[in-house]
Formats: sequence, C-alpha cells, structure tokens
Amino acid sequence: MQKTESYMRALRCRECGREYPLTATHVCEFDFGPLEVVYDYDLIQRRLTRAALASRPQTMWRYRELLPVVDEPTVGLQVGFTPLIKADRLARRLGIRELWIKNDAVNYPSLSFKDRVVSVALSRSRELGFDTVACASTGNLANSVAANAASAGLRAYVFIPSDLEQGKILNSLIYGARVIGIRGHYDEVNRLCAEIAGKFGWAFVNVNMRPYYAEGSKSMAFEIVEQLGWQVPKHTVVCMASGSLLTKIRKGYEEFLKLGLAPETEHRIHGAQATGCSPISTAHKAGLDFFKPVKPDTIAKSLAIGTPADGFYALKAIKETGGAAEDVTDDEIREGMRLLAECEGIFAETAGGVTVGVAKKLIAAGVIPAEDSAVLCITGNGLKTLDAVTGCVGQPREIKPSLREFEALVANEETVTA
Amino acid sequence: MPPRSRTSGATKAAPDARPQQSRLWLTYPAKLIKRPVLWELTQKFPVVTNIRQASITDKIGIVCLEFDGRRADIKAAIKWLEKLGVKVEPVEFNVIES
Repeated sequence: MQKTESYMRALRCRECGREYPLTATHVCEFDFGPLEVVYDYDLIQRRLTRAALASRPQTMWRYRELLPVVDEPTVGLQVGFTPLIKADRLARRLGIRELWIKNDAVNYPSLSFKDRVVSVALSRSRELGFDTVACASTGNLANSVAANAASAGLRAYVFIPSDLEQGKILNSLIYGARVIGIRGHYDEVNRLCAEIAGKFGWAFVNVNMRPYYAEGSKSMAFEIVEQLGWQVPKHTVVCMASGSLLTKIRKGYEEFLKLGLAPETEHRIHGAQATGCSPISTAHKAGLDFFKPVKPDTIAKSLAIGTPADGFYALKAIKETGGAAEDVTDDEIREGMRLLAECEGIFAETAGGVTVGVAKKLIAAGVIPAEDSAVLCITGNGLKTLDAVTGCVGQPREIKPSLREFEALVANEETVTA
Repeated sequence: MPPRSRTSGATKAAPDARPQQSRLWLTYPAKLIKRPVLWELTQKFPVVTNIRQASITDKIGIVCLEFDGRRADIKAAIKWLEKLGVKVEPVEFNVIES
C-alpha cells in the first residue's frame, strides 16, 4: 500500500481544547469531553483543489485529505458519491421553488449513510493495527460494520439488545459477524457495551474510534457542495439521532468554505426528529441550550436515541447557522415516506419520512421561504423498515383470470380518477 | 527460594471484587437537584467519586464523574441512583446506535 502524507494534526477536546495523539481514544482525560480530529488546513489547501478533484474516482474518498486516514483507505473504497436528485415533483407538493434530495438510501454496500462513517472507522482501525472491530447497534450501524468488515477480512463483533427483531439480526449474521444479544433493560445493556469497549483491545467503531468514525459524515456535505456546482445550499434539512450527522454536515460545509472550494454564502442547517423522540427539537423550540433525556416511542427506530451524545453540539450548530428544529408524528412520518416515494421514486426508511415531514412543516411555516432552495438528506433505505408502512399503503386488487374483469376494473378506476 | 509463579501466590479476586473505574454521566430530574445525592451515595457505598464536569439549573442537573471502587459496590451504587430517578449513562452516552 502506498504511504501517503497525513493531513491530521491531533485529536482535540471539544470542551477544553486539550490535544491528544492520534490513537484509538475518544474522551479527554481531564473533563471527559469528546475528542475531535483537527487537520493541517494550510497543507490541505495546497493539495485539495477543484482541479485535483476532477480526476479522482467518484467515491467519498475523493476528499481523502479531509478524512482521518494516514495511508490510502483500505475499507469501503466504493462508498459514497450517492445521487443528488433535483426533486421537482416533490418541490411542487411541498410548495418550494427548488428542492434536492441527497440519496444515501442507495449508499454502498449496506444502503445507509453509516457506510460512510464505518468505512472511515475501519480504514483507520487497520492503520492502528486492529484485527477485530465491534459496535453496539440496533440496525444500520450493525449491518454496515458486518458488511464492511467482511469485505475487508476483519473479525466483527456486533452487540445487540436480545429482544431485537429477527430481520435486523439476519442483516448482520449473513456477513458472518459474531452477533451477541444482551438481555436487560436498555441502560444496563448500554453501560455493559461501554465496559466491553473499554476492556477489550478492539476497535469499537462508535466508542474508542468515534473521533475518526464521526468524520466520515462530512463526506455527505462535501458531495452536496460539489454536486450543486460548488455551492453550499442555503437550507439543509438533516434528521437527528445522536445529532452527530448534523454537526458534521456543518463542519463539512465550513471546511470547504475555509479552503476556498465554495464561495461564502449563508447556510442554515435544520434538524428533524420524530415527536416520539425529540429531545433536541424540543430543547431548540423552548430556547434551551441543553436537552432533557426522553424515553423513545416512535416508528423511526433509527432516530430513537433518548439521550443524544451530540445533542448539545447539534443545538449549537442549529442556532449558530440560523436554522430551526422541528418534529413530526408517526402518521406524518409515514406521509413523508409516501410523498418521497410517490413524487420521486425514492423509498426511504422512516428517518427519511421524518426529514421530508419536517421540511414540509418548515416550508409551510415560512421558516424555509418558498422562493428558496433546500437540500434534504435521506439517510437509509425503506426496505429496512417495511413494518412501518405495512397496512398503510393500500392492498393489491385481485381479479379472476378474465380480461372482462380487468377491463371493468380499469374503467371503474378511470371513472374514479376523472 | 524459587520465584513464585504469577498465579501461585494470592488467590485471584472474584470479578465483582476487583477494583475498577467507571466514567459516567448522571442526569438528575428537577426534584432531586436540592438533595445531596452524591454525599448520600458515598455514605452508603464504599466508592470514590470524582466530578469532572457539571451543569445544574432549576430544571435539570447533569454531572460527569468517575467512580472508583469494587465492581460490586459500583453496580450497587448505580442501582441505588437509578431507583432514586437519576439516569446513569456511560461517558459516551449512547453506545448502542441505530
């Protein structure tokens, strides 16, 4: 493998600013604040130009200088550069001049944006000498770790609550991952997973590898800017679970502005949650800079985090960019999923329904003005959450093997729709 | 005298008797903010608490601390806190992601 230059400088505490070496560590020893990767932007500015990018493959790794690996990446080389679709039909339905869909429902290989963060975490894990990777997850993260680890020949441990639905378990077992179900209530399982992460010398992607892992989300922002013709969108709507994706979309936009890859423009980042798990949007609407933990009760399982680790930073990012936060009910989530599918042919998971539903609300309220342009970030595929819409999208109509009966059905349908 | 092997000397401590450190976030509901919960905890359980960050308002109390003690005592202390209504999470908050 070709040895290349590192553009990373250090890990830095987001609370106190203390710096640490670029190892597998994630919290500041002083105040336990989260660590984040800092880069040598002067060096990056000399290397990462629009001209240099033009000749690179269309994957997330075309922005390698701004992703936390030292050598060339080794895991998930095809991840990213998902379509950015101009959604004219949905724009008309929502009442906005211009609308774009960033479609990570077709991200490779596991059909969610998690492939971005996982490919970064696993590439960095290999650089640091790990041969075993792990995560604790109830869905998309587990699938992505299992799939990407399999393709890279890494051993994978996936920890899940023991009562998780069979379908979600199969999506990890098929790749040969060691799936461990843990009995107990959620907080107990969560604390045990943290202990396991601390005790075993593995690369736990969302624990000791988290500073690197989280950086992968920035690639979604880089792609949006490039695909819009080097423009940062005025409005971006992002769903929030831990809040990490929203903060990294902002970091991605601001890195491109800092490097002069896009002109300075106003960019507001709006956060979307399900009403059944809305600690961040509730806090924002109440004008608070902290959130209260909640017990999740929503069909949007991939957003069901009652104590969002990056909630404080997401609130800050929304406020500082002049964005808003809103939430939608389960019925509004299903309606959002249908709208996206019927207007644009995109079947998103429930989190996508949250994003569309919140965008609809913000446009109707004038928070996103009708004459503006907006990007909606869709993070996962609808095939993963079929249960959420089962029984809500109609039934096939049955007929006998008779042409006359079919003609009658069509005639009746045309009368109804006329 | 031949050197003792690593395992022949002392008996190995049972897992729950081993000393450990736990880094935790405690979130207090408003009704507990005036109660000296951590003082009570150290009277009841032989654990050492070391606060690293805290933010207290009239609506919520959030404390980030380190517990030092035997595993069994830390587990019992956490159980007592949860019974009072304090939410106890690892320093990473949600390790289980979607």
